[in-house]
Amino acid sequence: MQAVRKTFGSVVALNEVNLHINRNEIHGLLGGNGAGKTTLMNVLYGLYKPDSGQIRLDGQPVEIHSPRDAIRQGIGMVHQHFLQVDTYTVLENIVLGTAIKNRPTMQLAEAEQRVKALSDQFGLTVKPQAMLETLPMGARQRVEILKALYRGIKILILDEPTTNLTPQEVDSLFESLRVMVSQGMSVVFITHKLGEVMSACDRITVLREGQSVLTLDRAAASPESLVQAMVGDELDVADSLLFSTSKTVSDPPDRTQPPILAMDAVTVLGDNRQPLLEACSLAVYPNEIVGIAGVAGNGQRELAESILGLQAPSAGRISIAGTDVAQTPTVKLLEKLVSYIPEDRLQDGFLPSASVGQNLILGRHRQEPYSKNGFLNWPVINRAARRLIGEYKIRTLGPDDTGANLSGGNIQRVMIARAFSFPAQLVVAHNPTQGLDIPSIEFVFSKLLAHKAAGGATLLISENLEELLLLCDRIATLYRGRIAGILTRDEFDKYEIGRLMSGARIDS
Amino acid sequence: MALELTPDAPSGAATRFKQIADQLLPYLIAVVVAFIVIGLVIGLMGFDVLTAYRTILFTSFKSKNGFVQTLLKFVPLLLQALAFTVPLAAGKFNIGGEGQMLMGAIGAAIVGIIFADLPLLILLPLVLLASVLFGALWGAIPAWLLYQFNMNEILTTVLLNFISFSLVDYVAVELFRDPAAGHPTTVPIGAGGELPLLISSPPLHSGLILAILVAAAVYIYTNKTSAGYELVVTGANPRAAGVFGIPVRRLFFASLVIGGMLAGLSGGIEVAGSHHRLIEGMQSNYLLLGIIIGLIAKGNNLAVPFVAFFIAILEVGASAMQRTLLIPGEMVFIVEALILLFVLLSDVFKKR
Amino acid sequence: MDQAQLTNFAKLVILAMVPYVLASQGTMLGGRTGIFNVAQEGIMLVGASVGFLAAYLSNSLLVGVLAATLVGGVFGLALAYFTTTLRMNQFVIGLALFFIGLALSTLLFKFAIGVTLRPPLVPTLPNIAIPGLAQIPFLGEVLFDQNWLVYFTFIVSAFLYYLLYQTSFGLELRAVGENPKAADSLGVNVTLLRYGTAIAGGMLMGIAGAYLPMVYTGTFTEGIVQGRGWLAIALTFFGGWRPDFIFLGALFFAGVEVLALRVQVIGSVVPYQILLMLPYIATILVMMPAFKGVRAPAFLGQNYDREKRTQV
Repeated sequence: MQAVRKTFGSVVALNEVNLHINRNEIHGLLGGNGAGKTTLMNVLYGLYKPDSGQIRLDGQPVEIHSPRDAIRQGIGMVHQHFLQVDTYTVLENIVLGTAIKNRPTMQLAEAEQRVKALSDQFGLTVKPQAMLETLPMGARQRVEILKALYRGIKILILDEPTTNLTPQEVDSLFESLRVMVSQGMSVVFITHKLGEVMSACDRITVLREGQSVLTLDRAAASPESLVQAMVGDELDVADSLLFSTSKTVSDPPDRTQPPILAMDAVTVLGDNRQPLLEACSLAVYPNEIVGIAGVAGNGQRELAESILGLQAPSAGRISIAGTDVAQTPTVKLLEKLVSYIPEDRLQDGFLPSASVGQNLILGRHRQEPYSKNGFLNWPVINRAARRLIGEYKIRTLGPDDTGANLSGGNIQRVMIARAFSFPAQLVVAHNPTQGLDIPSIEFVFSKLLAHKAAGGATLLISENLEELLLLCDRIATLYRGRIAGILTRDEFDKYEIGRLMSGARIDS
Repeated sequence: MALELTPDAPSGAATRFKQIADQLLPYLIAVVVAFIVIGLVIGLMGFDVLTAYRTILFTSFKSKNGFVQTLLKFVPLLLQALAFTVPLAAGKFNIGGEGQMLMGAIGAAIVGIIFADLPLLILLPLVLLASVLFGALWGAIPAWLLYQFNMNEILTTVLLNFISFSLVDYVAVELFRDPAAGHPTTVPIGAGGELPLLISSPPLHSGLILAILVAAAVYIYTNKTSAGYELVVTGANPRAAGVFGIPVRRLFFASLVIGGMLAGLSGGIEVAGSHHRLIEGMQSNYLLLGIIIGLIAKGNNLAVPFVAFFIAILEVGASAMQRTLLIPGEMVFIVEALILLFVLLSDVFKKR
Repeated sequence: MDQAQLTNFAKLVILAMVPYVLASQGTMLGGRTGIFNVAQEGIMLVGASVGFLAAYLSNSLLVGVLAATLVGGVFGLALAYFTTTLRMNQFVIGLALFFIGLALSTLLFKFAIGVTLRPPLVPTLPNIAIPGLAQIPFLGEVLFDQNWLVYFTFIVSAFLYYLLYQTSFGLELRAVGENPKAADSLGVNVTLLRYGTAIAGGMLMGIAGAYLPMVYTGTFTEGIVQGRGWLAIALTFFGGWRPDFIFLGALFFAGVEVLALRVQVIGSVVPYQILLMLPYIATILVMMPAFKGVRAPAFLGQNYDREKRTQV
């Protein structure tokens, strides 16, 4: 790929980017969020139309206008958020869009044989007739990879493939990738995690702010050189929290005081009376950050929402600083006790058609000084909004700007600004750094640590294990709605948490 | 990502004026283009285009009678539009303003007929209250179906319109029929139930003032209060609203009931102000025009009265055109639909 | 009710099913690629008006049906263009098209016919008995001694079922309504399928409209559709967005309509106004359980933008 340029409105997402991928290699594409990794690969896969630039395959220039073209050229992509039809079977998802024999009558027996052969060949076990919505994340990812292999591709692009995997599953994924490369394929591996690049890739290209900074062989790369390339001059790596090598970033809490958050044997039932959260007991003390690890969908959302009083537990009791959650409306809890950064900022936190100002007061809209006697005080709100926009570096035209004009990273800043705009005893932060570039992640970390230093309690729910290991005083792991184990800082071990995440302790 | 300085929101009279002008321009273009399109059609059919334009646009201002006619149209149009925009703020489409209006009219007529002997100070408030309550009931049914069964409100509000037609027929034919009328009509309500007149000739009733007050109250509610903010947030993203403690489903319910009340009041004012009785077919096409007004105003309750007044001018012009030039009044309806489309289109092209 | 009355009743129900089934299959088809059409009532009115006028002026019912198909397709095309290409709100555009259909139907009739004391008439569609099948006792007479649009409705429903569930084309089509991005990433042409289903859906609605003057009234009147377009939306949900269940569900909708009409003719103690309400009340009642259990296409009513980075 040569001199690829892509803009969204006035934002330059890719600026003259070059990328060269060899045969038989796993090529790491490293960079912080917003560096343009995914955008570049979406261009290669025909989902985005580049403004300028050229793509060459085996020396020949090719035109890729759509995924159909990309597939025809032997390029396949596994997106970070899997693109699957939940109501279809594994097999139907795989054959979708391919030229099936007997198109009018759709005989799938032959296709099924091929899928089975591929899954044996690369060690990707799936059940072809299983309905997709019943599958766990790891299996869904294998389906995505099989989808690409089934189309006979030569280049496989994987976008942040390890996000929802346990460390054990990550290892097995890397093994499958090795098999593919040994058989003549190339793999592009998009990630922002340094460790994965160092352990899995043959060559590495670093992107920063839409530009390719450097390309190195792994042998020639050191973690330090890659970090500096990722962050440029904007950040002093030596002082950085994110890349700190020291074991402690903050002081341990005093657990003899009464806890701020106390959950006692809390059970939350789903629509079908199945427990989504089962007998969870957890305490978070002042000055403490407790992490929640686990593969997405194991009760994290229910945990957060039950603390906010949004899901009523069928059993158990939750209190925040002595206030019983069950007895208190959510709006009241949000006033002084809890701040919340929701998991899915677009679905659960953001109002695209409302103004930035309206977005910033959500949850505080019945609270002085924003509101008095039921009437909103717009001059005060606009002043406060302008202050937050400046302090949290939200790129927008101002409080009256429409939310829809913001980019993903700026939307996340609105979430952060909203959560920290009023002091609260407890912060519940669910994936607070997703979609943020490296300096912003630093900023969020410093905010969380400042909250801790001020005596506040934090529940940090994250799919990013590194983040938890760095910041938390204790880590509890959720598996199928149960707390599979709680480790304190001196017991932290990635593979032990991985075992807890996959239910090894409970099941065996 | 480098930090950019955030410019302060523009202030000062001059920039404020420019902002408003920027917003009005697409409307102006939409109206002009719609008139050109329809002028071509009328011209091709052999009618006199300029006379048609003049009739549509200026009938309201040529005579005192025309202006009063326009104001009388304006009242139900304004309330119908608000009955659409309030639920729309919460993201719900109320297509049942017609049925809610008729229910309001039924309530007003029943109370006005049964208690015909009561004095003005008691009967008039009762009549209007009955219309609001009946309208609220007709809004509450789809609201409940939505709350309890998650049933699409577009569907239920429309189906209730059809039920209300039969109810009007039942009241006007079986219960309080006026034998002297050729068309299903009830006997008149008591004189105490009639809205006082502002001008006696041509008659202009005080429902106009009532409607304007209600519109002002609706604007304050949706734009200036915390409760109205919750309504808007619910419409913008119901899940986010729920996560931040707003009782979303209750607001859906409330928004549809408020819509029903507003539409019901429009029926009550028609009975107490204009007809003094319930007449089958009195709903005219206020529902559709109300929706068009609400959509042209893009749900902005400050803009609704102005758009409603403009549409009232077109409607009065349309009847005049049908009378004098024999061009079907539906022509103007097409103009209105085209204005709506062009206003919506201007948004799309502004974004590009 | 004796045998002959029962046969006659069943036959009328089948006859009354047609507009519901066609309009509802049209709705379902668009919905399966995510386009939620709410302009049925307007498109059916235009279909009725244009279908009648074309049949009247050309002296051919077939020409009438074809004209209605065409104009319905144009409405479907407009819906697809505004929502899929310009990405405007589907409900708002649907309502706008409903208004235009409503106004256009009356306007065209007034321009073409003018004001007359005696309405112009077209002959109603003749029954065509299918040799052999029509001889089967009861069922034969009910199902196979009908007009050709009834047979067309049978065939369309069966064909749609086959297309959606038995072919790989159907697999792709349904995927667009469930997760267009997934379909797009596998090379399925999302835009083309959305245009195609919206247009085909509009065509079916146009035919559903034209059916009314050609079977019931022989002429066009403003109130001819009487909410059948809206009821068709209800039927689509009731039928779980599946062609087979929609067909069966239409039996209920048509049954209530015919029943209300017959009781009115025979006369009863119940005021006729109550009978007129019956179809709408019955619809709301049956929808209560249906809406809780039904699974509509996941992407219903939304617009797809391949390059949109923050999809809400």
